[in-house]
Amino acid sequence: MLMCRDLARIASDYIDGELGPMDTVSVKMHLLMCGHCRTFIGNLRHSVDLMKAHSSQHVDEELVRRIDERVTESLNARNSDNGKSY
Amino acid sequence: METATHQSDEELLIQGLKSGNEADFRKAVRVYTPGMMAVARYYLDNSTAEEAVQDCWVTVIDAIQNFEGRSGLKTWLHRIVANRSKNHLRKAKREVSADFSETLDPELANRFRPNGRWATPPSLRFDEDAESLMENGALSDCLDQHLATLPETQRSALMLYEAHQHKSNDVCNILDVSASNLRVLLHRARQKIFIMVEKFQETGEC
Repeated sequence: MLMCRDLARIASDYIDGELGPMDTVSVKMHLLMCGHCRTFIGNLRHSVDLMKAHSSQHVDEELVRRIDERVTESLNARNSDNGKSY
Repeated sequence: METATHQSDEELLIQGLKSGNEADFRKAVRVYTPGMMAVARYYLDNSTAEEAVQDCWVTVIDAIQNFEGRSGLKTWLHRIVANRSKNHLRKAKREVSADFSETLDPELANRFRPNGRWATPPSLRFDEDAESLMENGALSDCLDQHLATLPETQRSALMLYEAHQHKSNDVCNILDVSASNLRVLLHRARQKIFIMVEKFQETGEC
């Protein structure tokens, strides 16, 4: 029988739909009977959503500025090389 | 509908990059650099990763002419960074070391009785939606702090899969990990974030 600790071990696979059919049924049966694990799975899902919402906002402005400079430099060098060849 | 618009936006951007349009490069650098850094940081330390990503963008100026659209632009860029980062590793004769053993975080494992039932179950249900929670600056700072302490391997896996929404097999290819090891990395990282969010929700402290 699946115990709460076993469920915690495979919780990520369950929320991503990566478990096999037998394990999925075992998890669903366990969740029907165990309120703590229902809260755990719900909170784990919620943490994943939070990660998605958070990480999509993050840009390192200083790094982007340095890359922009290098790209501009290289584009200009390439354009002037092309100009010379005609 | 949204997908069609997204595709045509990407096609326009690719055309702009192929014609060497500086504004399009700026747009692409802003959009794709965070994901490229997540890839590079899997393999390299921070300053070498930044160099590798900068070099990639310079390479892309010419390489984009050969981009045929067999994969999306994001996946193509991430593969270029992965290959370049692996070359750096080979030159430095280093290897990525990741821990793929126990899938239960020790802090979470301690919350179970020997019989496998909860001793310290989750006491709160997180029910506020993620977008409104992220308006809480303190929570966002706390997430940053905890993401920074994750092992690079876990953080990169988490970023590519969750934030940049790659499919599992793309992440496996880019990071050179098996599907089962990717699952371990993701699960370990998610548990750490879960424990952090739970503590923050209960105490308001990071």
